[in-house]
Amino acid sequence: MSREGQKLDYAAAGGNGAGGVGIGVLSLDLLGQVLDRLREPRDRKACRLVSRAFERAEATHRRALRVLRREPLPRLLRAFPSLERLDLSACASLDDASLSAAIAAAGAGGLAGLRRVCLARASGVGWRGLEALVAACPRLEAVDLSHCVGAGDREVAALAAAAGLRELRLDKCLAVTDMGLAKVVVGCPRLEKLSVKWCREISDIGIDLLAKKCPELRSLNISYLKVGNGSLRSISTLEKLEELAMVGCSCIDDEGLELLSKGTDSLQSVDVSRCDHVTYQGLASLIDGRKFLQKLHAADCLHEIGQRFVSKLATLKETLTALKLDGLEVSDSLLQAIGEGCNKLVEIGLSKCSGVTDEGISSLVARCSDLRTIDLTCCNLITNNALDSIADNCKMLECLRLESCSLINEKGLERIANCCPNLKEIDLTDCGVNDAALQHLAKCSELRTLKLGLCSSISDKGIAFISSNCGNLVELDLYRCNSITDDGLAALVNGCKKIKLLNLCYCNKITDSGLGHLGSLEELTNLELRCLVRITGIGISSIATGCKSLIELDLKRCYSVDDAGLGALARNAFNLRQLTISYCQVTGLGLCHLLSSLRCLQDIKMVHLSWVSIEGFEIALRAACGRLKKLKMLNGLKTVLSPELLQMLHACGCRIRWVDKPLVYKDC
Amino acid sequence: MDRGQNHIHGQSAANLCYQFGSDNPLLGMGIQQPFVPFTSPFGASSSTNIPHMDWNPATMLDNLTFIEDKIRQVKDVIRTMVDNGGQLPCRQGDLTQQQQVVNADLTCLIVQLISTAGSLLPSLKNSSFLSHPPAGHMDTVNHVGSSSSFIPNVTTISEENKEDMCSPEDYEELFKGFTDGAMEGGIEIDNVFVEEQDAKDGDEGGDASMDGENLPPGSYELLQLEKDEILAPHTHFCSICGKGFKRDANLRMHMRGHGDEYKSPAALAKPPRDASAEHELVKRYSCPFVGCKRNKLHKNFQPLKTILCVKNHYKRSHCEKSYTCSRCHTKKFSVMADLKTHEKHCGRDKWLCSCGTSFSRKDKLFAHVALFQGHTPALPADEPKNSSDQISRVGSHQEPAKFPSSMSSSFMWGTSSSDDRGLDIKGLAGCSEDILSTGNFGSFNFSFGPADGFTGEPSGSTFSVLPPEHFQSAQKKGKN
Repeated sequence: MSREGQKLDYAAAGGNGAGGVGIGVLSLDLLGQVLDRLREPRDRKACRLVSRAFERAEATHRRALRVLRREPLPRLLRAFPSLERLDLSACASLDDASLSAAIAAAGAGGLAGLRRVCLARASGVGWRGLEALVAACPRLEAVDLSHCVGAGDREVAALAAAAGLRELRLDKCLAVTDMGLAKVVVGCPRLEKLSVKWCREISDIGIDLLAKKCPELRSLNISYLKVGNGSLRSISTLEKLEELAMVGCSCIDDEGLELLSKGTDSLQSVDVSRCDHVTYQGLASLIDGRKFLQKLHAADCLHEIGQRFVSKLATLKETLTALKLDGLEVSDSLLQAIGEGCNKLVEIGLSKCSGVTDEGISSLVARCSDLRTIDLTCCNLITNNALDSIADNCKMLECLRLESCSLINEKGLERIANCCPNLKEIDLTDCGVNDAALQHLAKCSELRTLKLGLCSSISDKGIAFISSNCGNLVELDLYRCNSITDDGLAALVNGCKKIKLLNLCYCNKITDSGLGHLGSLEELTNLELRCLVRITGIGISSIATGCKSLIELDLKRCYSVDDAGLGALARNAFNLRQLTISYCQVTGLGLCHLLSSLRCLQDIKMVHLSWVSIEGFEIALRAACGRLKKLKMLNGLKTVLSPELLQMLHACGCRIRWVDKPLVYKDC
Repeated sequence: MDRGQNHIHGQSAANLCYQFGSDNPLLGMGIQQPFVPFTSPFGASSSTNIPHMDWNPATMLDNLTFIEDKIRQVKDVIRTMVDNGGQLPCRQGDLTQQQQVVNADLTCLIVQLISTAGSLLPSLKNSSFLSHPPAGHMDTVNHVGSSSSFIPNVTTISEENKEDMCSPEDYEELFKGFTDGAMEGGIEIDNVFVEEQDAKDGDEGGDASMDGENLPPGSYELLQLEKDEILAPHTHFCSICGKGFKRDANLRMHMRGHGDEYKSPAALAKPPRDASAEHELVKRYSCPFVGCKRNKLHKNFQPLKTILCVKNHYKRSHCEKSYTCSRCHTKKFSVMADLKTHEKHCGRDKWLCSCGTSFSRKDKLFAHVALFQGHTPALPADEPKNSSDQISRVGSHQEPAKFPSSMSSSFMWGTSSSDDRGLDIKGLAGCSEDILSTGNFGSFNFSFGPADGFTGEPSGSTFSVLPPEHFQSAQKKGKN
């Protein structure tokens, strides 16, 4: 709990204890203002629990709500009448019936203020639930339906009744066709943001209608659609369009970009990554027409770059801030031209570009002093010299990705750490750096993300350096850093208490006592412990009891984890949503206990659970049937599990991935 | 189609009338009278005169008398129509039947008139005649013709030819084609079709503005055919037996049967275009319907390009749509070809708009949706699946939820089917609102059902057994 939370907590408790004097005398409005200033949800909860005044204030004041289980949903919707944002993306076993029931329970006007609803991955919700939702929320402005893979035209048509809709995300709603899109664009003419990424059934006809019916559109994502140049002609008529993403549209070519270049100057960001048929010529003509481009992402689509493109790029000198050219063969002269042409660059992506050298980098950064993000993943020719020139020129650097740049070492990183105090993210995966490098990096106290995968020379000492100064660290990747022991983890949790994502896969020296240290990381949400052969149920239980926020846990190939570990998870890890227990030594009983207890669990991978009988699987899956969204199991089970069960799972929106892998025990 | 080759004469029409008249004993006058001129003027003539048109005053005179006769008959028929119309206002069925008979009779007479008048024409190129007569007066035909020597030969008409000429199909076509024209000629009718014609004009190949052609008035020769000429089924007639043909090539093929002289390559070849024709002005056509945009009196007059355009335009815009689609029984056409085109696609329209209009192609539907405010595509198989699904899922919870859902679905069907092919936009907007409101109503009630069922539910963590309808829907999905 944060310090401000603690203080309030104390005041509230003291106030109530002293008989009504204290926080209770303040007006609800004031208390609401106080609550608004609390950043951590945990603190707000503490206040709510300890003082009725705060509880009342929150009830009237609360604007956003994220619900993790369906059972309390009706009560919560009643309790918070002034909600504006509702996130149901993680709400387990939410279906039409429960959603409609909750909305009905909220009563007329109960959801009148609701503006944004997130239903991402809520695959159990169909058109009936959406219809009820839209009918109850007259002011609905934004809906996120992404990754509801079953959602089709009917669901989208239900949303079309929300005439005030401004934002809509339909990513990977695989069954949505032109008809559904047409419903939406006719029903919601004020749409400003729309993403139909991966809706593969949508064609040029649908996009054309979209362009005609939604003139207010500012942001559009048509990535991975099978649309052609005709769509770009329609899109070019959108006068307010600022952002256009068309990743992986292989039917679009230079002609389409030429069409797109005709239009107003509103367009600021274009993403043509992975458009196989786009060349630099098309991009040049696009730049020619759209003179105010700020972001240009052309990752993995260009094979060569001609002089025409470079000269056109220079015309964007004043505006261009982000440029991504991943996978391109570049030369020093090109990098120099970019550096000279676009001094306002804030972000540059040269991931997997061959031919990036120290000279190229130094001529690039020489004029681009605003650079904050530099992606040099797999540019394996660069050495410390490149880092030196980056450090000398880019004082504002926040993000540096150097994965697989194995020629760099602690000397280059020292310069970076000394000159770039704002560094927030650095990726050193497979760079072979050592403890000394970490000692230098520890100077960057703002560091949030640190990736050290495959740097096997890093030891507990290095971790201790990081822990000593990087208290804000949120993500730490120690994949296959197999010199790290329990002591390293002890040092880590000592300093970095805000870690949310931790990867310890294949650090096979770690034992239960190390996990005992991790138990003090209250904010940990994602933990990967793959192939930690020494950990047992004891370690798991200390994590389960300590890490209350745990959402994702990977225990694949933790051969010593047994029913006791699962039992501990079942009793304590109530927020757990994703779990991998492949190869664990669990039995049917443990699995049943786990699956019937964890009410947020939605995604479970359980391959090669040799001790679980068919009945064990059957009963366990029946217990969790309504909640599971994703399952990974051995292919052999497909035929022996009862068909009713599989149909039931399917009906609840669960996707099962059947794998056919031989049982191989690896001792890593 | 060249007007100059219309070797029309009274023979064919008289013959036609004979057969026709015998079928309709109700109107006697059409039956006997044709025989009078039939035998006297034509019987005397010889077949040697046929190829050339020597000016024969006797024949001319005979023909003119014949025409006078006919005109009198036409007047009589029209008079009876007027009388009938006054006498039988109440019995609709009888009236229409009678009208049809009268129409048929009129048709006969007018065909005879035209063909006889045509035989009076002085030359093969008689286009000048077409451009002169004022609209709506059959009598003008009389004044034009000055010489003709087409002497029909009654004896050459074989039994077979008669059969051929007046086959039931021909009759039907003729009858249908003439009905409206005759009606308009006989009875004053309001310009019911005028509104439609502008929209339809785009369909016609001869639309001058569509082709980008913008001939200044006077730069072309303007012709106006009369409605009867337009509606005549045949434009080429055999000068020997009088059989009518739609194409002159068919006529040439037919002529081979009349003797070896017609079998020569020269006779069978397509007649060469007149050298003089090239120096002539371009021909354009005017629709005889006064008030039509294609009529020369219209202030925004747009001429029609060819005679075929005239025919199609006149039928589409000013004639009753007498061909009904045998599949949907709703779509009607006045041009046979249009019906044929429609029947090719009828019943295969799977792209539905909320207004009830259906389209055979998705892009057509989307263009329609883009054009009209508030129209949205209707999801295929929306309604029936809707109701059954909802009932099966909700049914177990409680009864009330069932009722509105099925109500709403049936109501939606009702409105969409009763819609008259969706031309009235206002009505449609109302209809879509209905759909919306009932849909909401249904879902609102439906949401109460589970509300009761779920609040009391323990936790869901125990081994919950799904209700059977989940299996059903799962099976459905599995099948898909």
